[in-house]
Amino acid sequence: MASAHDAQRMGETPTWVPEDIIGNMTLKSLLFSNDYRHIAIKGILTSIVMLGLGGLMAILFRTELAVPDVQFFGARPYMQLMTLHGMFMVFGFIIPFVIALNYYMMPKVLGTGRLLWAGAAQWSYWLLIIAAVFLIIARPDFTWTFYPPMSLRVGGDLVYLGYLAVLLVAISEFLAGAVLMRNGWEAARRLSWSKLPLMGWGAISEGILLMGSTPILGLVGIYMFTDWMQITAMFDPARGGEVMTFMFMFWFYGHPAVYLPLMPAIAVLYTLLPRFLGRPIWSYWSAVIAFSMLTVLGFIVYPHHFQPAENVVGPLQRATQILTLAIFIPSTLHVFNWIATLWSDPIPKSARRAIPFKFIIAAIFFLMLGGVTAYVNAQIATDSDFVHNTYFVPAHFHAMFVGFMANMAMAGAYYLYPYFTGRMFNQALANTHFWFWQIGIFSKVTLMYYLGYVYFPRWVVDYLPLDQWAMPQMMLTGAAYLIGLGFIVFVINFMWSATRGRKADTDPWAVSDDAVSSGASAQPAE
Amino acid sequence: MESALGLSGYQATMMIIVFVVLGAGISALFLALFLPARWRLKYWMEIAFVGLLIGVVWYGDKRSAEVYGAYQEEMSNAGILDEPAIDGAEGFDRELKVIAFQWGFAFLTDENEISRNAAVVKPGERVLFRIFSNDVIHGFNIPAAGITAEFDPGKERDVWIRAPQEPGKYLIQCLNYCGIGHAQMKAWLVVEGAEA
Repeated sequence: MASAHDAQRMGETPTWVPEDIIGNMTLKSLLFSNDYRHIAIKGILTSIVMLGLGGLMAILFRTELAVPDVQFFGARPYMQLMTLHGMFMVFGFIIPFVIALNYYMMPKVLGTGRLLWAGAAQWSYWLLIIAAVFLIIARPDFTWTFYPPMSLRVGGDLVYLGYLAVLLVAISEFLAGAVLMRNGWEAARRLSWSKLPLMGWGAISEGILLMGSTPILGLVGIYMFTDWMQITAMFDPARGGEVMTFMFMFWFYGHPAVYLPLMPAIAVLYTLLPRFLGRPIWSYWSAVIAFSMLTVLGFIVYPHHFQPAENVVGPLQRATQILTLAIFIPSTLHVFNWIATLWSDPIPKSARRAIPFKFIIAAIFFLMLGGVTAYVNAQIATDSDFVHNTYFVPAHFHAMFVGFMANMAMAGAYYLYPYFTGRMFNQALANTHFWFWQIGIFSKVTLMYYLGYVYFPRWVVDYLPLDQWAMPQMMLTGAAYLIGLGFIVFVINFMWSATRGRKADTDPWAVSDDAVSSGASAQPAE
Repeated sequence: MESALGLSGYQATMMIIVFVVLGAGISALFLALFLPARWRLKYWMEIAFVGLLIGVVWYGDKRSAEVYGAYQEEMSNAGILDEPAIDGAEGFDRELKVIAFQWGFAFLTDENEISRNAAVVKPGERVLFRIFSNDVIHGFNIPAAGITAEFDPGKERDVWIRAPQEPGKYLIQCLNYCGIGHAQMKAWLVVEGAEA
């Protein structure tokens, strides 16, 4: 159902030309240039390194978890790995990755031609690097949610660097939000709101989420630091503080935080799907409504993260349940829109061959797998039984983070590869990566759901040798290895193809129904 | 397995709904990808579909509130949710004070007998746990009884269960990360033989 504005709403027609940006840049331009292409490439490369580090940590502690009892790590190194895995994956890999994709795509799609406020994006990047270094030095073991007073009493002498890292992450994300907001706003001003490409709506939603929530995270970081220095006693009940203050402040950031990688990933999906199909998205306004609702709900559903605590009772508890359940409305609007777009006309053969398109389909699949079970997560009665802090919760957010957002990040990376290197990646290796990941992620998520259903606790280095726990844990470790293997294939493919891959065509993703495409064929056409 | 929250029927219903909706979504995705027939959906279909799901969500909210409300009512009838809480609440067969600490649980009976790692109860009893933490945030979960609570230091938290009918040892575990001993923070719910 196309409307007159649809062509414009898809963004500018591709003036994208494959070029060897990576081959032609110097180290200096990569590190300090404010050119949006260099900032984006730097963000993506760093995120891939972070993904590798975070993944390596996961492989290490999954090896420990494969069988009951403690084999390789004591509790402290295990928890250090667990904590850094969470922080690297969320703050270091997935949020910067999808934001970097937006940095690269926005100037082209929104027609601004350059990234406005690129200096802020530069600062955002370097503050995050400092935060990562702080975390590696401090090696905290208090999980990424660092609940006081536990987190104030563990971690050794350098743990304050961990609190400062939280503050730096907050500032870094605030700056990134300002950049996205600025660019989305500029495009809306130029094109008018009704013709703003969906990437612009995504950027504005993301900007509101980032700039609204990160100041509170910054305050949490500061108070944790001053509490630890014994200057204040905000969160320490032993000295008159209040743990619930922390809960409400932290999760006011913590819930928007899980939408921070979601919004740009959805924006990338709305940008790429029409390009592969060669037709506009099914309903523009349904997507706009969904973006807006998700932004508003993102700020008010956060008490569901600590629902079985005694302070979330009565009307607050019921309101939290209803609002949390209401998240299904924007999510359904998004997914319905994508499926309706796919169904409306034949899917070109070129799309079926394209690796990014495959990753997009997998991402939609996992968004449903992770989203529908939230029906159970949101309900107080089930949350007070087998959901809260069992593996059911990690199952839900791994389906979202890995299944949806990481798959979308990969879709973006494969899509942009010819524009960054001037060459195509190897199709067979990319397919291998795709299937390793999808089989691995599906097994992992399903097994985690099952383990949660049988009350397997989060954050444990050791567990009882119960039949219903030990076998799924072993298989889960296998699934993690498969995902790790897929990542290695991905890295080898990208490094090898950067110099030896087939030269990309003028339009590597041309829509066509030929049996063999000019763009993404498996046969080298050189 | 009879749980205090009365979950069995309600929970099964919710899981069936999840599987049905998920199945419908995944089928739609695969049909859109592989079915030769193409279908241009109308806008009202999206509104109708969201309306249908609003019904499903309304039902989930209603059932959850009923089930959890009934569970809480047992405690509010006994007066233990009042401030200040009544000691020795009527309506429960057994009352145990639980002290959660880094890292373990201690159980204190009416007669001030203390046990470091076992809550001893009779089959099918209604047991009230009045839980305190003296250091950090802990969790209290009994899988066999289907109940989880999270509680802050310095405040009392009450939960109650129906003890399993089968005599035996049932796991009690902390579900909230509370420091490096978290994985060891376990105790046992011991259900004695049914002679009494």
